Amino acid sequence: MSALAKDIDLESSPEPAFQSHAKQNRVRVALIHLTLILLSIVFAFPFLWLVTTALKPIDQTMAVPPVWIPREFQWENFGKAITYNADKLGYIPFLLYARNTLVLCIMTVAGSVASNALVAYSFARLRWKGRDFLFAVTLATMMVPFPVLMVPTFALFRELDWIGTFRPLWVPAWFGSAFSIFLLRQFFRTIPFELSEAAKIDGASEWRIFRDVVLPLSKPALAVVALFSFIGTWNDFLGPLIYLLDQKTFTLSLGLQFYQSQHGGTPWNLLMAASTIVILPVIILFFFTQRLFIQGIAITGLK
Amino acid sequence: MKRSKEGLAGYLFAAPWLIGMSVFLLYPLASSIYYSFCDYSVLKPPVWVGMENYRELFQDEVFWKAAGNTAMYAVMALPIGMATAMGLAMLLNSKVRGMTVYRTIFFLPSLVPMVSLAVLWLWLLNGEHGIVNELLKHGGIKGPNWLGDPAWSKPALMLTGIWGVGNSMLIYLASLQDVPTSLLEAAQLDGANAWQKTRNVTIPMISPVILFNLVMGIIGTLQVFAVPYVMFPGGSPARSTYFYAMYLFDNAFRYNKMGYASAMGWIMFLVILTLTFISLRLSDKHVHYGGS
Amino acid sequence: MIRLNDIALPGLALAVLAAIAASEKMTDRSNPPGPVRITYWEKWTGAEFDGIKGMVDDFNRSQNRIHVDILSISDVGNKTMLAVSGGIPPDIAGLWGPNVPQYVDDNAVIPLDDFCLEAGIKEEDYIPAYWQIATYKGHVYALPSTPASTALHYNTRLLQEAGITKPPVTLEEMDAMAEKMTKKNPDGTIKVAGFLPAEPGWWNWGWGYLFGGRLWDGKDKITANSADNVKGFEWVQSYSKKYGPAQVQSFKSGFGNFSSPQNAFMSEQVAMEIQGVWMHNYTSLYAPKLKWAASPFPYPSTRPDRKDTTFVDMDVLVIPRGAKHPKEAFEFIRFVQEQKNMEKLCLSHQKNSPLRKVSDDFWKRHGNPYIRLFDRLAYSKNAVNTPRIGIWPEYQSEINNAFDEIALNRKTPQDALDAVVARMQPKLDQYLRRLEMRQKVNH
Repeated sequence: MSALAKDIDLESSPEPAFQSHAKQNRVRVALIHLTLILLSIVFAFPFLWLVTTALKPIDQTMAVPPVWIPREFQWENFGKAITYNADKLGYIPFLLYARNTLVLCIMTVAGSVASNALVAYSFARLRWKGRDFLFAVTLATMMVPFPVLMVPTFALFRELDWIGTFRPLWVPAWFGSAFSIFLLRQFFRTIPFELSEAAKIDGASEWRIFRDVVLPLSKPALAVVALFSFIGTWNDFLGPLIYLLDQKTFTLSLGLQFYQSQHGGTPWNLLMAASTIVILPVIILFFFTQRLFIQGIAITGLK
Repeated sequence: MKRSKEGLAGYLFAAPWLIGMSVFLLYPLASSIYYSFCDYSVLKPPVWVGMENYRELFQDEVFWKAAGNTAMYAVMALPIGMATAMGLAMLLNSKVRGMTVYRTIFFLPSLVPMVSLAVLWLWLLNGEHGIVNELLKHGGIKGPNWLGDPAWSKPALMLTGIWGVGNSMLIYLASLQDVPTSLLEAAQLDGANAWQKTRNVTIPMISPVILFNLVMGIIGTLQVFAVPYVMFPGGSPARSTYFYAMYLFDNAFRYNKMGYASAMGWIMFLVILTLTFISLRLSDKHVHYGGS
Repeated sequence: MIRLNDIALPGLALAVLAAIAASEKMTDRSNPPGPVRITYWEKWTGAEFDGIKGMVDDFNRSQNRIHVDILSISDVGNKTMLAVSGGIPPDIAGLWGPNVPQYVDDNAVIPLDDFCLEAGIKEEDYIPAYWQIATYKGHVYALPSTPASTALHYNTRLLQEAGITKPPVTLEEMDAMAEKMTKKNPDGTIKVAGFLPAEPGWWNWGWGYLFGGRLWDGKDKITANSADNVKGFEWVQSYSKKYGPAQVQSFKSGFGNFSSPQNAFMSEQVAMEIQGVWMHNYTSLYAPKLKWAASPFPYPSTRPDRKDTTFVDMDVLVIPRGAKHPKEAFEFIRFVQEQKNMEKLCLSHQKNSPLRKVSDDFWKRHGNPYIRLFDRLAYSKNAVNTPRIGIWPEYQSEINNAFDEIALNRKTPQDALDAVVARMQPKLDQYLRRLEMRQKVNH
């Protein structure tokens, strides 16, 4: 069952069969609407509060009773957040962190797509000894919790003298990840094998088949892998926490922490503004790629 | 001839992962066992101490507290999280108008970076200025000191978790789409009401997905780190949110007891394997694989 | 094929290569030609950072063989350890005194005895309490950057309003005065707290010392639950009982940033608190109109022998193991130890000096009106330092945890401290055993 081949249909409306059923349906629909609206308010509320706090001057954030919508919108808070403490040494170079995060994303997304495509192709469409066993092992590795790997991986990177560089954060992406391999393998299997056969008869090598037959048909799936990889890197916290030491090399996740003063007390409006800026790209990305997103996640659940 | 060429190609294509898995997964996993039997501080070579680390862990009150906190949290958060995700998915599956909007609203929070999430909720739940307590006040309830009261810190964490169920919700939604309408209609004709339909048709049909989410959920909740790390530094108040992964992290990188931390890591791994195995076993009876 | 493919792939490859190049450049650690460049990680920010930066600039200007690059690093205690583990430590790290035993036991810093001998730096030059912090197990591992001592800081305006004319001498007097100075809001929440043991909360581990208790017997026993310590924490709990623990929690969560006018003491929400010599620096910046004074922290009337109890600590400079240029690093450290430089640095932080010899100029130019008090207290026989054991970070976590439980009225001090001993004694035993084992292996 390929969820990518068939769109997830979420927009058609019900067809009432009988008159009494129609009435029952209307009540039912109304109730569902009500519940959904209430829940939406609850779920959307933190976002709204995030943005309104970002637009307030600091005293209004601490006001009791709370200020729901600030009188004037302090749009400059966003600018202030980016240049927070710029006049003091040890300020938060927000843009630098953004750049670092982006640079990392480019490297991990490229590596992720390239390596996972190759490997998934092998598991999906090539026959070789030990393939199915290794695939099962691959799936099993998803159960290994990161904490168990934390220490030896750190020791490994220390041996390589990679601590303090970006390498521990992007090099592993070029060697595949179980999750993306699984995703792509499922997808690759849905491409008709006749196409490969035809190309083979024409004398094409496996590489040619991969590049010219399978890949072009897989753009949505590859996009999903790229998307997940981007979001994973953008949001990653533990990796940079352990491997990055020079503050100039920090990523946004780490940088956000600096707004919280070590001595207690925080410029909440600036912190919320900075948070908004960090969340924004991911949300914008989501809006442009909704379909892919949903289908990508859907396929992970369907085994 | 062609077979072996294909076989070779197979290995070549899979090479990045084969190397990657060996270097970044299997080798560390193996060294982790070795370190767990050593006193290791990275600054000095590991010194074999046998079962010493495990023995010390057994008597370590902080270890038990962290494990207890993690277990308690998992037991609270998993069922509620799964129920919420499923409930939302079912609501969304009713094909009412405006579905995409609702779906987006429920899903977006799961995209938020951990740190932003933690920081946002730190603000929402602040004892003096937090808006959550303000809202409760309007409803006539005196909100607890979410961040300062040990009894409420785990529930506070759960709130952040529930806000982020969008991911699993989508998975449930997709699987709900796959439930054959023929079966539902048949049940309807038999006179089943909504609850009976859900219980006897829907749930069994999506049971593989429930299992999948359960296993993923177990693995995820047992490893929880980033959000409590930012929201509750040190597991304060009074160590109520000091979780397993945090104690592991502290042992490895603050107290320099990497051998000790490795032992903790292995225990966690074994627990996860056991729980997964149990889930799979139990599921044999309940999970219905409908021809996939 | 499709045209997009023709440019897309090479374009992407180019972007990736550019990204790799950029990331490598940022983390490049090779040495450019010219003077030896050494990295110095320091914990300070703001005005305090400016002070040490001035010293770095002076050093760089005074000669051209060595150039110090100073960085303000948050969480420097943990970050440096991580860097040493990772094989890329800074050449100098600005840590806290309590970090020294742990770093030494973990072999993360190098001994400075030979360097000191060469440079003529001797024990006799320093106030004993501070020299003690610089040494461990008979060797010198650190040298001071700035020292500190603590005293009672009180709001003179609030004192007068309550009809009090002199600061308290005994603890009982202070408790009575605190009650008089405490004000409540109509709804019962706290408006002004006379005294709050949890504010600022930096010496939560030390309240037992007021009563003569010790956290460690100097050898192999964790003594957190000694009778004197229990008395100390019972006194702490008396404040929670008086105010109500929930009230205190709420009250505290509304405090502002330490270095801001919303600081609890500076915004007059707390009338008396224990604080360090640097406080004057902060009040003159954020609350210049605040009327305050300092006096020795009161002692329990049953323990006059605990008069002048003060918490001494020191910001130290260490050379991490694996530093690329230890000799050059020490040259900077030695520069800071010279009397005129040390005084300049301590003046910039408005702190006292760790050296015995102090110039008249230093006293004259010092902004802190109570500086002589802080200096005198540093010589007190009741100057308290953190236990010098490698597991202090864990121990401190435990005590802080116990303090929380005690302040929240969740446990009696005896129970909370017994729990601390129950957890830490095995850890100390374990720790000492491993130290022994490591020594054996290294021979």
